[in-house]
Amino acid sequence: MWTLARKILLHDRVKFAVASAGVSISVLLVLVQIGLYFGFMQNASNLIDHSRADLWVTGEGSENFDFSAPLDERIYYRVLETPGVAAAERMILAFGQFRQAEGGTQGVQVVGLEKRPVLGGPWNVVAGDTGRTAEVDGIVVDQTEFGKLKIERLDERREISGARAKVVGLTKGIRSFTTSPFVFTNLDTARTYTRMEKDQINYVLVKAQPGVPLATIKARLDTIPHVAAYTTAEMSERTRAYWSSRTGVGAGFFTTAIMGIIVGLVVVGQILYNGTLEHVKEYGTLKAMGAKNRLVVGVILLQAMISAAVGFVVGGGLSFLSRAAMRGANLIVALSPQLLAATAVLTACMCGAAALLSVLKVLRLDPATVFKG
Amino acid sequence: MDSLVTMCDVSKIYGEGETAVTALSGASLDVRPGEVLLLQGPSGSGKTTLISILGLLLRPTAGQVWIDGRDAAALPEKALPDIRAKMFGFIFQGFNLFPALTAMENVAIAIRVKDPKARDPEKLARELLASVGLADRMHYHPANLSGGQKQRVAIARALGGAPPVIIGDEPTAALDTKTALAVMELLSSLAKERGRSVVVVTHDPRLERYADRVIRVEDGQIASAAALAA
Repeated sequence: MWTLARKILLHDRVKFAVASAGVSISVLLVLVQIGLYFGFMQNASNLIDHSRADLWVTGEGSENFDFSAPLDERIYYRVLETPGVAAAERMILAFGQFRQAEGGTQGVQVVGLEKRPVLGGPWNVVAGDTGRTAEVDGIVVDQTEFGKLKIERLDERREISGARAKVVGLTKGIRSFTTSPFVFTNLDTARTYTRMEKDQINYVLVKAQPGVPLATIKARLDTIPHVAAYTTAEMSERTRAYWSSRTGVGAGFFTTAIMGIIVGLVVVGQILYNGTLEHVKEYGTLKAMGAKNRLVVGVILLQAMISAAVGFVVGGGLSFLSRAAMRGANLIVALSPQLLAATAVLTACMCGAAALLSVLKVLRLDPATVFKG
Repeated sequence: MDSLVTMCDVSKIYGEGETAVTALSGASLDVRPGEVLLLQGPSGSGKTTLISILGLLLRPTAGQVWIDGRDAAALPEKALPDIRAKMFGFIFQGFNLFPALTAMENVAIAIRVKDPKARDPEKLARELLASVGLADRMHYHPANLSGGQKQRVAIARALGGAPPVIIGDEPTAALDTKTALAVMELLSSLAKERGRSVVVVTHDPRLERYADRVIRVEDGQIASAAALAA
């Protein structure tokens, strides 16, 4: 069966190449689009995902992580005294204007942290000392944002919202969903950069005491007026869901991916069906000789799976090349093993579905037709 | 002599009501071991319907098809492929060979289909091809074979699984005279030397010399049956 399927498929190499190309394009579109989507979603929640906090406290009804309403700082103290809370840290996340060397400005997302933060802060530090963000004008920025900020190295000095800033640390790969570069600094400096009132913050990060269920602490924190508490996982999911559904980003990427699947379905389906029509006499002969339907259907499905396998390998390879090319444009294509596995299954299902018409054709094929001309 | 297949009072009507067409009416026929049986008749007389019912490719509207003591016409559809695999080999006017497969592979696939547990189908295929004079063409694709050679491959394929009855629908129609006679000679020798029954539909009266019996089909009925001297 395998030999028959393989030889039928490879007999017309041009058709096989077209079918494989159809699957490859489909796989490429699915992997790159979904990979880009996951890359953006990683950016959307990376500050949350890389934190060591168990819970996040924010303003009640605040849906967007990047644009949350300010909280009264007194809430931080209410959180600290809540039973079950081992530690809490304040965090500011708001926008400021970064003045470039030649005079232009770039919007930045200022992340204000405690002077010795434990629960949140920059990671993937490649140069400098993040501890120096405790200094009045110390900031940490990401290397991949050098182009936007027009800086080239550590110790460069700039202004943010009219206040001095000095690059004391560099990270690699910390990017925001909003495309405004993150600037990490201490709370007071962050307030200056963002013109926030001195008794205002955006988040309280909470570490739970060992052995105390998070649900219990969360319920206690929820009793504080005008705030809501979320586990880190919930906070991450809320943030991703907001950007994905409220902005149409998810729909955009997934629509393109679905179009890719449709392209693959049509191309492979058409090639397989044509191939089945070309060989209908031979399939009828097999049935006349006593071949059961499952054998003939198996030959068709195997052809579909061979197309799927070749298309997946080629399309997957092209996706990795695309990822490397997009890295240069500061775009993350997150090709996780799970995404690759899911796409492999999807490709197999797509090609299986594409074979459906052919399968129906051979199932309905009356072996008596072999005697008709 | 016991018959391998016996058709009793078989009728076949296509369609219903005013559009109904009677292709076969009250036809009875038996196929005996080792004989060459020619079916002759004008186009549209019901020959192809007759062999389709004989080979269990088509169900009759009425009548019985007795094989191994069972009326195969009354058996469920799913039982028929196994009986076809065991009992029949088919040869077609258009050869119906897979163009992507070599001669040997075309025969081997038939052996596998008929007997999935067959040991070394390729070896059996080579032996069958050698027996039809194609030992030196085993690895040729159909496109590189002549019409006569293709039909020999088809004959070798029909012999795969050693079915007792070979059914041919105009197997020589696409061949030149010399090749057609050679193919018929081969089929005749199969019947005599291997004890296979060969049932052939043909328009060609020159093939009668190879037949043990000639049956004329006209207007869906068996008009005459003549036993010929061996």
